[in-house]
Amino acid sequence: MSDAPIVNEFNQGPISCHAFNGDRTELAICFNTNVVSIFRKSGASWTQTSTLAEHDKPVTSVDWAPRSNRIVTCSQDRNAYVWTLDGATHQWKPTLVLLRINRAATFVRWSPEEDKFAVASGSRCISVCYFEEDNDWWVGKHIKKPIRSTVLSLDWHPNNVLLAAGCADMKARVFSAFIKGIDKKPAPSPWGEKLPFNTVCGEFSNGSGGWIHSVAFSPSGESLAFTGHDSTITVVSPGTGDVQSIRAPFLPYLSVIWLNESQIVAAGHDCAPHLFELKGQQWAFSASLDAAVKKADVGFTARDTFRRMDSRAQSATSTDTEVHTQHQNTINSIRPFSGTPGHVEQFSTSAIDGKLIIWNAHSISRGLGNLHL
Amino acid sequence: MAFRKIDIDALEEDAFGEEEIDFQEIGELRPVSDVESEVNTRAQEVRSLLQRGNFSEALTAALQNPPYGAPYHAAKARNTQTVMDAAYQVKVTDMTQVAKSLSPEEQDVLMKYLYAGMAAPEHYSSGHLLYWHEKLTEVAGQGCIVRVITDRRTV
Repeated sequence: MSDAPIVNEFNQGPISCHAFNGDRTELAICFNTNVVSIFRKSGASWTQTSTLAEHDKPVTSVDWAPRSNRIVTCSQDRNAYVWTLDGATHQWKPTLVLLRINRAATFVRWSPEEDKFAVASGSRCISVCYFEEDNDWWVGKHIKKPIRSTVLSLDWHPNNVLLAAGCADMKARVFSAFIKGIDKKPAPSPWGEKLPFNTVCGEFSNGSGGWIHSVAFSPSGESLAFTGHDSTITVVSPGTGDVQSIRAPFLPYLSVIWLNESQIVAAGHDCAPHLFELKGQQWAFSASLDAAVKKADVGFTARDTFRRMDSRAQSATSTDTEVHTQHQNTINSIRPFSGTPGHVEQFSTSAIDGKLIIWNAHSISRGLGNLHL
Repeated sequence: MAFRKIDIDALEEDAFGEEEIDFQEIGELRPVSDVESEVNTRAQEVRSLLQRGNFSEALTAALQNPPYGAPYHAAKARNTQTVMDAAYQVKVTDMTQVAKSLSPEEQDVLMKYLYAGMAAPEHYSSGHLLYWHEKLTEVAGQGCIVRVITDRRTV
């Protein structure tokens, strides 16, 4: 396996969200439109096989349940659809979900057991959806209090009950999304023991304001990491009472995942995935995973250079406007690609530049020496 | 031109307004007189440090526990003056080292005051502050500037 990141260029516009199927041979991706495209891997490239066209406003989030092979999409049109593959026709069939929200849906994730999913929205609530056998449809139950603004991101705890939410009211919260009849009583955890629906198990700030863009439980579920628009990344561990906020010197991070219990990767407006590591008891920025090599300035003669300087009234060729990272614009989503939850080997990033890049986490330790910013 | 012309929260009874955000981020407000006396004590402390030539220490002291909240106009202006007094004493060649000696929190607070100073060019000459801005950004990165923008606790 090569260490170099695998760059997939789709050239169909900015990518707003993406999700892979269980064995990573298929990809659901949205190019900031109301349609989700399904691609199948063929050799080194991706071939479009079908489209999920049912939403009538831009799709904001997509998630693919790995085992039950169902896709859930949500959109600014305030709807969510669960898509199932019809075995006979090989067509994706949509089922409308009753979210009961009056603002855009912003984010959706299947629970680890794939029997529930949660939809975040601008109507200051989270709709926790589950399938009601009696009525043969998906219904949603609202987590409302004490959310004060748009919910921007969600992450499920491995126990299938707890749900973390990052919110535009500058708070990250952990809720219970326990559904009677679906969930078994969860084992006590540092987050709490009695967990009826909508229990607030934790409420955290990042210190200097800003929307919470992304939340992620650690693989064990013992800790929660979240990133804010104030360029901070915060890790809280209720078991030990530890709260650490790292004030990063970079632009804000929009998405965060855990590689393992002591490594976190975050990416956002700096266009590169950044690694944070737990050293001893202290979390700290470690390295950018994008070597950001300057492209050699070839193909220009001295005459061209002087002409350019003249036409742009520059004293020297400015490199300020060049982005040297693989991604050429804001990364808005990172997702684990291969490995297990406690040991992610590869992860994928999608960005506004229309690229989807698969990075090798295992090259991190090997190449750290020359990767420092 | 604003993207949206209609205030969609106008009919919302329970909108998340400025006052509530400020309360959430700043917390309970203390009596104005308490804050003012604290700021004045600090101003004297900073002045005595400056007289002894401890510019770096004076700046660090000036950046502690800044007054946040709408009612403290006078205290804020006084504290900005204190921070500026200390910041102006630091020579351009020493700025990087002084900036590095500050904690990340203090760096963020200093950046807030640099912007506050540059917002009042009639009181503070921007030239020196622009040098400070350049040196501090080299040390604390763009994240420091982003935090000044997002933080509701303004100085």
